[in-house]
Order: sequence, then C-alpha cells, then structure tokens
Amino acid sequence: MKHLILLSFLAVVISPALASAGEDGGKILRAQCASCHDLKGPAPQTIRELWKRDAPDLFYAGNKFRREWLVQWLQKPIRIRPAGVNYLRNINSTPPSNQNTKKTGRKYDVLWGSVTKPLKHVKLSRAKAEAVADALMGLKPHYSLVAGVKLDASKKVSLDQGEVLIDKVYGCLSCHFIEPGYGGYTGSELYTAGKRLQPEFMLSYIKRPKNWDPKIWMPNGNVKPDDLQKIVNYLILLSKEDFNASN
Amino acid sequence: MNKYLLSMTLTSLLLLPAISQAETAADNYKTYCMQCHGMQGNGMGANIQDMSVQPRDHTDAKTMSGRTDAELFKVIKEGGLAINKSALMPPWDSTFTDNEIHDLVKYLRKLCKCKHAG
Repeated sequence: MKHLILLSFLAVVISPALASAGEDGGKILRAQCASCHDLKGPAPQTIRELWKRDAPDLFYAGNKFRREWLVQWLQKPIRIRPAGVNYLRNINSTPPSNQNTKKTGRKYDVLWGSVTKPLKHVKLSRAKAEAVADALMGLKPHYSLVAGVKLDASKKVSLDQGEVLIDKVYGCLSCHFIEPGYGGYTGSELYTAGKRLQPEFMLSYIKRPKNWDPKIWMPNGNVKPDDLQKIVNYLILLSKEDFNASN
Repeated sequence: MNKYLLSMTLTSLLLLPAISQAETAADNYKTYCMQCHGMQGNGMGANIQDMSVQPRDHTDAKTMSGRTDAELFKVIKEGGLAINKSALMPPWDSTFTDNEIHDLVKYLRKLCKCKHAG
C-alpha cells in the first residue's frame, strides 16, 4: 500500500514534466494546423492575399506567444478576435431581425455568420498541447524585430491611466475590447493580451504593426516611446483582472 | 534608339514592383476604413458601439463639402487629432502611400457625390 501511494505521488509529480513525452508537436502542427494556419510565412503582401487568410499566421508564434498561454488555449480554444481573423467576411450592414438595434436606434454594421457562434477549433489533450506549444515556440524567424526590445517595468500606470492612453490618446478602443463586450470588434481582445503575448512582441508590434503583418488593418499609432512602455505595462496589469468575477 | 529602348525597359522593370504594390482606393477603403465608417460609408461601422464620437458619414454631402481635399488628405495621413478631431481616427501614414491617400480622397468625393463648397 505504501508503494502504491508513493507511486501515485510520483506519477502526479512527474507527469507534468512528461506530459508531452511521446507526442511530436511538429507532426501535429503539419497534420492538423497547416491547412488553416500559415506556418511558413511570409505574411500577406497585398490586400487580396490578406483577404484569403483563414486563421492567424503562426509562422512567428515563437516570437509572439507566451508558452503557458498556448498550452491552456490549445486545450480550451475560445475566440480572441470578436469579428474573426478576417472581419470582412463576418460583418453585415443589414442587421438581422434578432439583433437588438432598438436600444440605441442605430443601425450599424453587425457581426454575422460564424463569429456569432462559439469558435470551432481543434481541441488538444494536455500532452499534445504541450508538444504543439513547444513546436510553436520554436518558430522564431522575426528575432530581429524584438532584438534589443525590452519592457521597462518602471513605467507603471494605473488601470485608469492606461485606459486614458488606450481610449483618449491613441484611440485603440476603436477596434479593440478592453473588457468583454466593451470596445471595437475588428482587433484582438486587449484584456487577455498580457497573458497571451510576450512583452517584447507587444512593444514591437504596437510600435510598427506592418513590420509583422504588412497589410493588417491596425495602423501605426505613432506611439511615443514612454507611452509605448506604459501601454504594455497597462496591458499586463489589465490581464490580471478577473473579468469573469465582475460579469 | 536601341539603347534608349533598353533603358526604358529596364526602368519600367525596376518600377514594376513598386507599382504593383499600390492598392486600389476601393480595396483600401474596404479593408481599413469600413471597419469604422461602415459598409455603406455612412459612419455606421461594426466598431462604433462604444465610441464616444461617431465616425464621419462619408455619404453626407453637406458635411463632406465643408472639407477641402487637403484637409481630407491630412486627416487620413495624420489622424483625427491633426485637424482637431478625435483620436479614434488614427493616422494611416504607415499604411498608405501619398498617392493612395490622394486616390482615397477622390473615392470619398464619389461616396459623398460632392466637392469642396469653398
């Protein structure tokens, strides 16, 4: 019995370390992800190429994501961009009858189609998610874009100060949610960015999105260096909020 | 003459990549402007539900004729703050070339079916 307890204890302790053992993340990527995600690059160079994109480019995933977030997300995938990765496919200027436009009287373009339903995406087991995350973290062709980029944690801001930068100063709120359901639809949600993304990636991407994705609809906001640091510190602070508790 | 032809051909070949990268105003408008200014160009884009200032209605001839082409160029290139309007309109200078912005200004004039009234 003692042996059994000891073995069980060891299994619990050791299993996370061995979680990805035996799984070939690269093979899973090629077999299950490559049909929708670009694993090789380069990013679309023209608008018409951009319109063909079905899923986020992953060829620089290792420069972009935090591994622990990938492992979690791959086991329980949920939508990050409210209007989808290619928003032009998912908006409609004629509100369907089930959309409540009476509240404001405004008939603005609405989300339509697949983005109004839960995200359909492959779900992986813990072991496979670990292996795929490892494979993704190995994809780092854009090292030069983050070389020398460093977060300055001393440029702290409060949540309120950060929101002023995001809303009033740089207008990011136009296209991004800063809490569930609040903000614009065509960008990725910002309230999880700090958990999802590497700080160096956020600094580099916000400074010049076109370096990463030449035709993306996010403009270069000409963010001042100090404000750039403050915004990324804000996004990290924001991602620690428990939005499930407040909703 | 042959030398002249050759240099012209070479020049046009060199310029070709730059030319082929220019996007049409319709494609640019659809990809970058429509998310806020709307599929109909009427300022009712998908993003506007929580905006403190509504995007310009590009089909509104009365308001649009109050703007010069130079002002329209400036606000696209440098953003809303450059003409004392909202920061929610970002600067697009890293997205469009000057020529593409000129094309967009012409496109806006078609949408509003108007010219500057001045």
